[in-house]
Amino acid sequence: MMSCFSADRIYLYLEGELGPDDRRAFEEHLGSCPICRDALEERRPLHQAFTSLPPLEIPLGFARAVMARIPERTGTALSRAAAFATGALALMAGLLALHFLLGKSLADTLIQAIRSLTGGFGGLLPLLAKVLKSAALVLEILYELASALAGGLRILFSYLGPGTLGLILSLGSLLLLLLLFGAKRLLSLGEKT
Amino acid sequence: MSSMTDDIRLVELALKGDREAFEVIVRRYEQPLANYLGRLTGERETALDFAQDIFLKAYASLNSYRPAYKFSTWLFKIASNHMIDHWRRKKIPLISLDQPLDGGDGSLTPQIPDPGPSVVRKFELAEIRTRIERALESVPEALREVFVLRHVNEFSYEEIADIKGLPVGTVKNRVFQAKEILRRRVGAP
Repeated sequence: MMSCFSADRIYLYLEGELGPDDRRAFEEHLGSCPICRDALEERRPLHQAFTSLPPLEIPLGFARAVMARIPERTGTALSRAAAFATGALALMAGLLALHFLLGKSLADTLIQAIRSLTGGFGGLLPLLAKVLKSAALVLEILYELASALAGGLRILFSYLGPGTLGLILSLGSLLLLLLLFGAKRLLSLGEKT
Repeated sequence: MSSMTDDIRLVELALKGDREAFEVIVRRYEQPLANYLGRLTGERETALDFAQDIFLKAYASLNSYRPAYKFSTWLFKIASNHMIDHWRRKKIPLISLDQPLDGGDGSLTPQIPDPGPSVVRKFELAEIRTRIERALESVPEALREVFVLRHVNEFSYEEIADIKGLPVGTVKNRVFQAKEILRRRVGAP
């Protein structure tokens, strides 16, 4: 005679979790084993009760209450702030890239561009080529940065209100400007020596 | 449209700022989540507060949801972590995987069934349910949680293993132990 099934397998049988072979073997075994029959009948009403426990009562308007606590995801203040921050970053990065690529101060770069414009289009072409090449590179980097920034801001905005977020963005921009001015000053000192 | 595809579409809409889409998600999962939390906290008001917190957490981290997985599994992972934090705050000792889980009733390893007299069959189904509800509170959290996920929320053993980050065999064993503890408590005078 086949040996008795363990209690955990009896529960699995009740749940319909035994494979077809095991199930058949167990049912055959039940015909000749009063111990397993008894164990099964003991657990059957329990299994019925386990799977039919009453649901917890939920108050009407529960979903509305949840939604009331959820901040707006598409806040226009956020969109404006993100657009402004991205634009400011793009401008700063563009100016810096020009500064490093041309090896001249920003003022000199601007003056040369104006002179070329007034002196004739031919003198401007090499500069334009450099600018376009740099701009493509910068735009690519900026796109990645903006995507990461937008993702981060979205998560941040869900936790913070628009006021707090605006304050953080302002402080961040200020810090960035200070860093850029510090970098420019260092570079200027380098040129003098 | 299947429920899973439907959930994914709702998440996409919610990520684009469609609040109604997220409200549909809340309405769809408020009952299963409340059932789970109610059985784990033992208090209706606490369970409803936790359910709100969990929906807020889910909304805040919707970006991290990957459509390759079932939304319900993802949501219940958040819920399970919320409960673990709650038990830690309440300083309820969480059981390690190696520790024997017997709920104070001795060893509960799978074995040949006890041939002794029935302790459960003498009750009506409604009485058994009531006794189970009462006895659940005394089942250790680590066992109670997987039992609830299995029999109240009707997750498969594989899904529970995913939610809890445990091997399927461990989950099956824990559910079994929870049931045997309940069987003894239900039959107790």
